[in-house]
Amino acid sequence: MGSISALHYLKPTRTANGTSLFNFSKNRISQLPVAFRSYTVKSSVLEPPDVPRLAETARISLNSQEIEEFAPKIRQVIDWFGQLQAVDLQSIEPAIRADTEGDNLRGDVPEKFENREDLISAVPSFENPYIKVPKVLNKE
Amino acid sequence: MLSSVQTPRLLRFQSFSLKCLHTHPTTAPPPPHSQILTIRKSLLSREISAVDLAGTFLNRLRNTEPHLKSFLYVSDVVLKEAEEIDRKIAENEELGPLAGVLVGVKDNICTSDMPSTAGSKILENYRPPFDATAVGKMKKCGAIVIGKTNMDEFGMGSTTEGSGYQVTANPWDLSRVPGGSSGGSAAAVSARQCMVSLGSDTGGSVRQPASFCGVVGLKPTYGRVSRYGLVAYASSLDVIGCFGSSVADAGILLHAISGHDKFDATSSKKEVPDFASQFTARDQLDSKPLKGLRVGLIRETIEDGVDPDVISSIRGAASHLEELGCTVTEVSLPSFSLGLPAYYILASSESSSNLSRYDGIRYGKQVFADELNSLYGESRAGGLGSEVKMRILMGTYALSAGYYDAYYKRAQQVRTLVRESFRAALDENDILISPAAPSAAYKIGEKKNDPLSMYAGDIMTVNVNLAGLPALVLPCGFIDSSPVALPVGVQMISAAFEEEKLLKVGHMFEQTLQGCCFIPPLVADELAC
Repeated sequence: MGSISALHYLKPTRTANGTSLFNFSKNRISQLPVAFRSYTVKSSVLEPPDVPRLAETARISLNSQEIEEFAPKIRQVIDWFGQLQAVDLQSIEPAIRADTEGDNLRGDVPEKFENREDLISAVPSFENPYIKVPKVLNKE
Repeated sequence: MLSSVQTPRLLRFQSFSLKCLHTHPTTAPPPPHSQILTIRKSLLSREISAVDLAGTFLNRLRNTEPHLKSFLYVSDVVLKEAEEIDRKIAENEELGPLAGVLVGVKDNICTSDMPSTAGSKILENYRPPFDATAVGKMKKCGAIVIGKTNMDEFGMGSTTEGSGYQVTANPWDLSRVPGGSSGGSAAAVSARQCMVSLGSDTGGSVRQPASFCGVVGLKPTYGRVSRYGLVAYASSLDVIGCFGSSVADAGILLHAISGHDKFDATSSKKEVPDFASQFTARDQLDSKPLKGLRVGLIRETIEDGVDPDVISSIRGAASHLEELGCTVTEVSLPSFSLGLPAYYILASSESSSNLSRYDGIRYGKQVFADELNSLYGESRAGGLGSEVKMRILMGTYALSAGYYDAYYKRAQQVRTLVRESFRAALDENDILISPAAPSAAYKIGEKKNDPLSMYAGDIMTVNVNLAGLPALVLPCGFIDSSPVALPVGVQMISAAFEEEKLLKVGHMFEQTLQGCCFIPPLVADELAC
């Protein structure tokens, strides 16, 4: 199907009051009616993804080739996420998940997990009774 | 479908699609029967032994695996477990409803006696210390787990090309994808390597491969089946689902694995109806067995961008439902197109959190470093695949301080809109129908470098996950993609916890669909319809 079909899904559509839902470029924000502008975050424009910094936050050591390969793709997808900025969501409650049923918690009573040996055998670096890790260097 | 039921409306949309192939020019192929119920009868009447049955499937699996590669691990105790079933039969002991049934289990569902890798190198050879609740329930019913099936790494993907180990082929055309992320489970049932299988569905990962492979895929309501033991991808969206070669088999399997679980706080306490009681035999159906059922065809799913042959197949399915007595009208879901970016924001965000546990410390592959943060960084970099890394980074971005309102919260608000629009549509209709994917199976390698193009294919399925609703996909026709014909599935959606309704309608649809044989050419010689 290819990217052309993807563009079909990304084509502008109309809401009930006739407003376009798909708006990729941030500099068109000022052209939107006031109601749509009221959502803006404290920093007036969301900074584009800084892939090396994100990789450090997510604790994934990317090599330079990966950074080069991922950055444009990530930017493209984040831009595509941006279309939600143009939707009027003023009085809509966020839904954490599908309908919740209310109190489904069990009692806060500890239970012994019987299969400790299998749990421990999965640990890469174990020195009874410790899980061994290298030293922590505080860079911050 | 090609026989006496051509109405002028149908002809308008037929174009170049083939609704069904006649493999036998003189006799129409019979509809699929429940393998589970058939073998139960044969086992109890001693017509066949569980060992013979298991042997047949194992042989077929071994013969087809070099072409398909649907399994990451095949159990070495299948025959031993089958012997135990035979012993129980010989001693007239009680048999569970799945006794002797050979099941494939997607590799992100924990099985303590087999590796469970979630398709990732970071969990290579990992053996969980417990069985997933769904697996435990199946085993209690007498099922035999034949092996663990291939998948896109951690459920992230729609083709199974994202597996850290191997690419699974579509049994209908080995140069095409089986769909994803439960591609291995779908291909295994399609090629009759096992009878039924378990998959998981976060954004369509059971339904789209079911459509691509010509099998039945059932996504239950969020909370119907416990997620304990399912490797978490996006916790507010993940469900375990069922594949079968017939609607009845998918329903019987769902019944076996459903129910409240104290280890999953999101699992529902609602009573589980006996899904198996929905399956009336074909010859006992009235002439208009679904009279009065209101069906809504989702308008946004049959517009531009969807393969015209797929639209034609779905309109054919709608006509078939009308013949069964339904009234079919087009219905619009206003927030439909917003669901796709909202889904990817929610899924990437939740997965960035869920996958932070793969740090090389408590389990999984560790790359040694002399400093802790480097150990995390190198272990994760070495063990996780590209698509997974990208989604974690996107999720990390969307959840960063100051960005939460702009992305994650907005996506949750869109989720509310999607839920409401489904609720409104399901107030006016008993079920909604749509395609499960905008096309039939595409070629291996076709979507590899274009993430947005691959994501776009999920448009038919993600909204159902956002709303937590159940959905059933069953094969309804074929597309001519010479020299092969590729199957196409119709998706049926109902209100929450109404799997019974879906199974009833799906079963009747399937049993009255004329002239279709959904057994792929790969195994058709052995198993003609």
